[in-house]
Amino acid sequence: MEATVQVFWTPKKGNTPDEYEDAYGCAVEDGRYAIADGATESSFAEIWSTILTQKFIATPPVGSPPESQTLQDWIAPMQQEWHANIMWDRLPWFAEEKARKGAFATFLGMEFMEDEEEDDGVMDKLLFMFKKQKTSGPRWKALTIGDSNLYQIREDQLITSWPLTKGIQFTHRPTLISSNPKCNDGIWDHFQYQVGEYEEGDTFILATDAIAKWFLDRVELGEKPWHTLAQLKSEQDFETLCSELRSGLKMQNDDTTIISITWEESPDDE
Amino acid sequence: MPYSAEISRTNPSCFIFLIDQSGSMVEPISGGEGKRKCDVVSDSINRLLHNLIIKCARGEGIRDFYELAVIGYGAQVAPGFSGPLAGRDIVPLSEVANNPARVEERIKELDDGAGGVIQQKTKFPVWFEPVAKGTTPMGGALDLAHHLLSGWCQQRNYSYPPIVINISDGEATDFGPEPQAEALTSLHTSDGNVLLLNIHISGENLTPIVFPDNDEDLPDEFARTLFQVSSELPPGMRELAKNEQLELNEGARGFAFNADMIELIRFLDIGTRSSTMR
Repeated sequence: MEATVQVFWTPKKGNTPDEYEDAYGCAVEDGRYAIADGATESSFAEIWSTILTQKFIATPPVGSPPESQTLQDWIAPMQQEWHANIMWDRLPWFAEEKARKGAFATFLGMEFMEDEEEDDGVMDKLLFMFKKQKTSGPRWKALTIGDSNLYQIREDQLITSWPLTKGIQFTHRPTLISSNPKCNDGIWDHFQYQVGEYEEGDTFILATDAIAKWFLDRVELGEKPWHTLAQLKSEQDFETLCSELRSGLKMQNDDTTIISITWEESPDDE
Repeated sequence: MPYSAEISRTNPSCFIFLIDQSGSMVEPISGGEGKRKCDVVSDSINRLLHNLIIKCARGEGIRDFYELAVIGYGAQVAPGFSGPLAGRDIVPLSEVANNPARVEERIKELDDGAGGVIQQKTKFPVWFEPVAKGTTPMGGALDLAHHLLSGWCQQRNYSYPPIVINISDGEATDFGPEPQAEALTSLHTSDGNVLLLNIHISGENLTPIVFPDNDEDLPDEFARTLFQVSSELPPGMRELAKNEQLELNEGARGFAFNADMIELIRFLDIGTRSSTMR
């Protein structure tokens, strides 16, 4: 199988592209994808969300699921990188004071494993045994904190909605990971981990909160919003869709990002 | 639904602070450990401006989600900024941030942003100095606010309505404040009328009355007048107050009577924290 990948993003209406604070990362060859939603109330959130996504697609945390200490050790160098990216000496008093509070973001990363190339977790095995599913073959695993969401569509049905399953679960106060270590007390248990399997024809959508909520709202109305997303051919199409949804109050005005991954037959497949 | 407009740089909102600078403001405030009313009020306003600036700081700059004015009333009714902004009325927040009258330095422990604590000099900017002289021309101050906001509301028709916060320790000595307050709160944007919040601060050790929904417990005509001219709190502000463990009912007004130092700070916080800013 091979993945057909599309990424669409647009800043909040009224903001310029360089004020976009979501981030995405795709390492198609390695089967890794990530999105993050930098909290607009914080400063330099775009740097933080970018570091999180790039680090995940380059070197995701080990373990299935990763242990709390593993996550802390994984995040620590990113916090140092964020700190080093800021020209502290040049900041006016208010910008320095704000930046010292740290940047905040949600995060969702996933990895596909075509064969049983990696099986480092007892939890994976137990889950698959419990579900009486095969322990080999194409699988995915995902790690998240906050309200970015993952959807899996198979044969025109939504078969995975994770970690949130209802539109009402999106709030203005998601759990966020911070660039400031002092702000991360007690959040490690909020990281969630999920595994699943996939097959040819499956589509995965990673979405930041605004469009993720719209997606679930439509599902709850009996609609199939993945049809709308499947028609997108260009950034312009996406901007037009977001503009319509925002003005119709169907989607919150926010930075908006999706990664769409569809598994199709590869010419190399037998 | 009124009072639901998103506050943005395209459609900023506005705060106007009306500060009583009459002679009686030299007296100590209740709960202030001997501090003068005028000192507590100026400290509170400076801290509020500081917090608002930090809230709107992004990256290396400020996003102008707000414009604001400080009007003093005592020996005269006039814009109250000191330093480079002296004489200016409504000023965008970024200009306020970049133009304090002076910056005090104090030693404070701070996060270093990487898990440690560092001791360093921190900056305490001051825009507004304590003044206590003359009478209480509250009507004139409300008139000036009306004058400033009538133009503002026309230009900013899609904005969250301006919020005027009046802080005083006594009765108006001029010709007000009912007609001026009524004129002021009749101004509006498409998102609702101008909100007028009144804080009466006291030197006496009396129980404060905060966000009342009727005037039954108010002791005198002066208190009832201030209650009558105070706006009803919009739902968002009522929610904020409830989150602060304040008990208040439908119809609660933006009014505090006999406020001590703690209530003054809490009232200002609720009155200036909007849930619609993004």
